[in-house]
Amino acid sequence: MNSPTTPSRPPLRSVLLRSRKRTILGVDPQKLIKYFFGSNASVAIIVLVLIMVFLLREGIDFLPTYQRELQTYRRAGLEFCDIIDQPLQRNQALSSSLRQAVSASLETLSKTARDWRDAAFLLKRQVEDKTARPRESLTQALEKTPPAPEQIEVFRRELGEASAAAAKALDYPAVFGTAEREQLQREFAALTPEVTDLPPLLQTLAAEFSAKDREARTKFASLVQAQEEFEEATEPLQEVVDELKAKALETKEKAVEFDVLETNRLRLLEAAATETDAKEKASLTKEAAESVSEAVNLEKSIQEITGRTAELREQVEKYAVVIEKAAAVLPQDAGTGAARALVNEVREGIPAHAREMRAAAATLEGWRWDKPVSIFSVIGAFFFGTQWITNSSWQDFFGFVPLLSGSLVIAAIAILIATPVSVVAAIYTNQFASEREKEMIKPVIEFIQAIPSVVLGFIGISLVGNLIKDVSEWSWLQWVPGFPIQERLNMFNAGCLLAFMAVPTMFSLSEDALNNVPRAYIDASDALGATKLQTVFRVIVPAGISGILSAILLGLGRVVGETMVVLLVAGNRIAIPDFSAGPGVIFHPAHTLTGIIAQELGEVSRGSSHWQALFMVGIVLFAISLLVNWCARAVARRFEPHKA
Amino acid sequence: MSAEPTAKTTPPPVVQVRDMDFCYGDSKALFDINLKVKYHRVTALIGPSGCGKSTLLRCINRMNDRVPSARVTKGEVLVKGKNIHDADVDLTQLRKQVGMVFQKSNPFPKSIYENVAYGLRIHGEKNKSVLDEAVERSLTHAALWEELKDRLQANALALSGGQQQRLCIARAIATVPDVLLMDEPCSALDPISTLKIEELMHQLAHEFTVVIVTHNMQQAVRVSDYTAFLHLGKLVEFAPTEELFTNPREKLTEAYLRGTFS
Repeated sequence: MNSPTTPSRPPLRSVLLRSRKRTILGVDPQKLIKYFFGSNASVAIIVLVLIMVFLLREGIDFLPTYQRELQTYRRAGLEFCDIIDQPLQRNQALSSSLRQAVSASLETLSKTARDWRDAAFLLKRQVEDKTARPRESLTQALEKTPPAPEQIEVFRRELGEASAAAAKALDYPAVFGTAEREQLQREFAALTPEVTDLPPLLQTLAAEFSAKDREARTKFASLVQAQEEFEEATEPLQEVVDELKAKALETKEKAVEFDVLETNRLRLLEAAATETDAKEKASLTKEAAESVSEAVNLEKSIQEITGRTAELREQVEKYAVVIEKAAAVLPQDAGTGAARALVNEVREGIPAHAREMRAAAATLEGWRWDKPVSIFSVIGAFFFGTQWITNSSWQDFFGFVPLLSGSLVIAAIAILIATPVSVVAAIYTNQFASEREKEMIKPVIEFIQAIPSVVLGFIGISLVGNLIKDVSEWSWLQWVPGFPIQERLNMFNAGCLLAFMAVPTMFSLSEDALNNVPRAYIDASDALGATKLQTVFRVIVPAGISGILSAILLGLGRVVGETMVVLLVAGNRIAIPDFSAGPGVIFHPAHTLTGIIAQELGEVSRGSSHWQALFMVGIVLFAISLLVNWCARAVARRFEPHKA
Repeated sequence: MSAEPTAKTTPPPVVQVRDMDFCYGDSKALFDINLKVKYHRVTALIGPSGCGKSTLLRCINRMNDRVPSARVTKGEVLVKGKNIHDADVDLTQLRKQVGMVFQKSNPFPKSIYENVAYGLRIHGEKNKSVLDEAVERSLTHAALWEELKDRLQANALALSGGQQQRLCIARAIATVPDVLLMDEPCSALDPISTLKIEELMHQLAHEFTVVIVTHNMQQAVRVSDYTAFLHLGKLVEFAPTEELFTNPREKLTEAYLRGTFS
């Protein structure tokens, strides 16, 4: 409170401050500095928002585009054909099983004879390969007009010597007796280009095999016949379906072409409307008029397809009856246990397949070409679609499930491997390691992060893949599901490498979490007489569990977003992994959300439905990453009482 | 230098420190300490900051072992007549015998029940009824049972500061130690909570032998039966509390009590 008597003089402090104050462009420099720092911090936020906006802008059009495409798919009648064609694919799987059963059965009788024949033919080929040059010279000499007899004689001798040497040097397998070997050697030495007939012993071997094969075919006649019948059964039906498919495809192509022309015309007209120059305007209008094409009469062409519904149903019914008959006459017996299992599998599979075909045929009547495709069914077709088919001459499908399942399985493998490794390493480093060990372990693990992921991809292809394949062939490991594995590049391989990549993140964050456990907890536990292990597992780890969980989640975020390794190593088969194989499914190849974008985005035309679909995948990937990171933060907040 | 208390004791001293020197690396922290802690009495250690009273306290349950370079260089510490640095001493058992409460309350981020039961659990007790009984007894001793018996499963960190410190006392006495060490247990508490803990200490002295480090001389007067005054790592005077405060024998003690230095 100033008393009125004191002269009003500003306090010394404010005088001093004012005297120093300068302004830049009328703004206090303090504020300028503040704005500078603030704007740098907000750049990150702005960029994030921009990323979201651009992803959405490119991707969100996908739904209406895909809706139009699915509409065409329906209106042109492709969907109608697929009703029958899709379940018919099962036929191929069944007949392939049968073929395997047949060949396994036949081999029980003919395998020895065939091996002999094959071995002899292989030897003959080896001799021919070794004597290729003199043979070629001789052939040329023989074809020359007029013939030069001396030259031919020289070449013939050379060939004879080379053949004899080659025949002698051959490594004859043990299946041939001494006499046979000698005869083979003699026959090989006498090979000449003029004689096209097989040498006598080879002829005998071939004849023996044919005899055995005939015998086997007689013995398993019912099986062979059933297999042939089953394969033939599909032919009349397939013929009808193929005719319909051709028609539908023709309609679709016309409709697509019309769409393109129509869009073009409208664009030209629009340009003409805004054009001010009269000449230009006239030329644009003229061009637009030329672009007019005849609209496809969808209704008429669809009637050509649906008109044959009755015929199609009849064929399906016939097919079902034939295959059921074939199933009934399938013999109980087959050559080997594996073959019997296959035959049984087919026998059980056929009735289900027949039922499926009949059910499909029954839905044909209810199918309407003009039923609109709702936006919800488009969303469903994307998020729950089981097929990702692109650049197809028939129809592109953008189903998300094959990619998502691949990504999830790989991420699960990676996390299952990386979590124990990194958490245990973090506990050891934080609680048990000496200072020297700490100084060594931490930089080494953190260095893993510096390895470029493409290098890890190389390692996956060249090293890990072969290693897993070799290990899977060890006889005492055959109890492991999925062993021996077929593909070197598979989800397990990718999961291992991703685990390796996730370890530094998870290790460092877990170690931090353990470090953040208050010293006082350890004091209290020690003072109560707890051993080091008891303190670690009853106090430190439970107190740091939120940090550890959030470390695992951030590791998961890293794994889901990783691209290069999965692209190189996961095998890139775009199909839902065959979960019926049980845990062995992890040794199958798959494709991923990230990999598909990296692989396909460079090759698609900008703005096409495929392009947009890839952006949709990007949006979903972005959403998953955000969700995982948000969960990590939520977990860290939720279980961190000592920081509250 | 050191002063033996004059009163004759019938039960032997629970803790006895004999001619002990203690070093952190090359620097000596305690010089030639002699101290006898009486059975079921409260002994207070007072002295200016850095005089070594906490170090001396931590020698009794070998908490100093965790500091890599710290060691006793001369003399010995006996708990119930046994040298605690002997090779056959099990550190786990020693710390079960000698409980400790810290300056800042440090309950584990677990439930109240689990906090109190922790000591028993790590010593292998699995029987639920034994644990239940021990939790009730310890909380009763710590004057918490009535307040908390209905929410034993609540997180201990949700308790007030004073309650947390009493919970730490309950945790320390759950294993029924012979000696309870308290390292400035009230320094982070408000006056009312401090009062409650001081009342509690009188109660605890019926069951346990208590050694308390305090920088608050009034507190030493209020709670202790014997007081030891340390200065620069040396035990200046050790006497019954009343005697030490009313009639100190050493000039240094008198100066400290008067507030000439602190």
